[in-house]
Amino acid sequence: MILGLAYQWHFEVVARYFPSLLRGVVGTVEVSALSMGAALVLGLVLALVRLSKVRFLSGAAYVYIEFFRNTPFLVQIIWVFNALPIVTGLALTAFVSGIVALTLNLTAFLAEIYRAGITSIGPGQREAGLALGMNRAQLYRRIVLPQAITRIIPPLGSIWVSLFKDTSLLSVIGVAELMQAGRVAAVESFRPLEIFSVVALLYYLLAYPQSAFVNHLYHKFRVRE
Amino acid sequence: MQLHFATAWRDVAFLLIGIKFTVMLTVLSMAAGLIIGLLAALARMSSWWSVRWASAFYVDFFRSTPVLIQVMWVFFALPILLHHSLTPFAAGTAVLSLHVGANLAEIYRAGILSIPSGQRYAGLAIGMKGRQVMARIILPQAVIRMLPPMTNTFISLLKDSSIISVISVAELMRQALSLVEYTMRPLEVLTVTAFLYFCLAYPLSLASSYLHRRYLSV
Repeated sequence: MILGLAYQWHFEVVARYFPSLLRGVVGTVEVSALSMGAALVLGLVLALVRLSKVRFLSGAAYVYIEFFRNTPFLVQIIWVFNALPIVTGLALTAFVSGIVALTLNLTAFLAEIYRAGITSIGPGQREAGLALGMNRAQLYRRIVLPQAITRIIPPLGSIWVSLFKDTSLLSVIGVAELMQAGRVAAVESFRPLEIFSVVALLYYLLAYPQSAFVNHLYHKFRVRE
Repeated sequence: MQLHFATAWRDVAFLLIGIKFTVMLTVLSMAAGLIIGLLAALARMSSWWSVRWASAFYVDFFRSTPVLIQVMWVFFALPILLHHSLTPFAAGTAVLSLHVGANLAEIYRAGILSIPSGQRYAGLAIGMKGRQVMARIILPQAVIRMLPPMTNTFISLLKDSSIISVISVAELMRQALSLVEYTMRPLEVLTVTAFLYFCLAYPLSLASSYLHRRYLSV
């Protein structure tokens, strides 16, 4: 096993396919940003439902969250792309299906993060607010949420980084992101080694600064009590 | 819309073959990953700069790149370098082991670093060598703290095993896709498959919550 020495690397292939790989990166960023944006809002709504005093609503939210956290994302993607049209009668494109699946998945994870952040604000704060005569809405808006936001930001950063990696699974339904561009290039060029190595390197180069930034967020927003 | 769940339940034996492979992949990869992760975490604290750097790069790389690209690379690209192809199951287990090893290395590292340094100095002060300090004092205490996050890693690994379906290992996801093609009933089959994954992962998730409450709450 002479590692790579007997093999002639053909990196000119990479040069030829690099533009399409870069277009894939753009697709990855698009899909990530759209689904994260939607999920940031829906996740908050779901978290508030989960924290509701009405047992039925809280339970329904629990079922949704546990279902999307305990099933593989690949199953969810394929379900949304192949099975959801049967239920709704709408045939969604791969791009829209991908975003729907990502949003549904992210909403569950973000709801848990929001919930943890909100419940980490000590009961003393709530009691103080209630003692001052605030109702529940004012309590949340003026006391709980502003403090919870700093605690929530670092885990949100982590979710963003893993979102970036999970978009690669959208390639199985043909969404135009980096992994899909890589697969097409590898098949067309008959050079999976060079192409996949570059794709892996691209993911790594994209992830590294974001991970470093998230580490910085964890340091900056650490809880000091 | 007529649901034909009878079809899905009759073919559930076909899906159960998939569960067998899913469990095998997950358990084997976790076992290998526990060893690889420990070695990587210990290497991270080595006195040689190059060993530290290699370990850090390994952990960083496998945690920053998607599992899918790792799978594709090991199955399609690595055989070109090695002039020898791996069976899909071996490739799948290898990739999952390396991936989970990197994640576990971070958990090991966090656990080891969470033990106050006074313990280490006390051990060194009574004449133990560094290796003995690690084995007899630090690791036994750290293991309790590591157990909850490791349970979460195991659940993630179970879910990530579905990605190995792309290289045609007969685990649950691949069996489900084959069944969808055969029965032309994606809704019923995929719903039952999601339910089966849920049945595997949810008890583990409850166990993880229990462990978190028991060992990690302050």
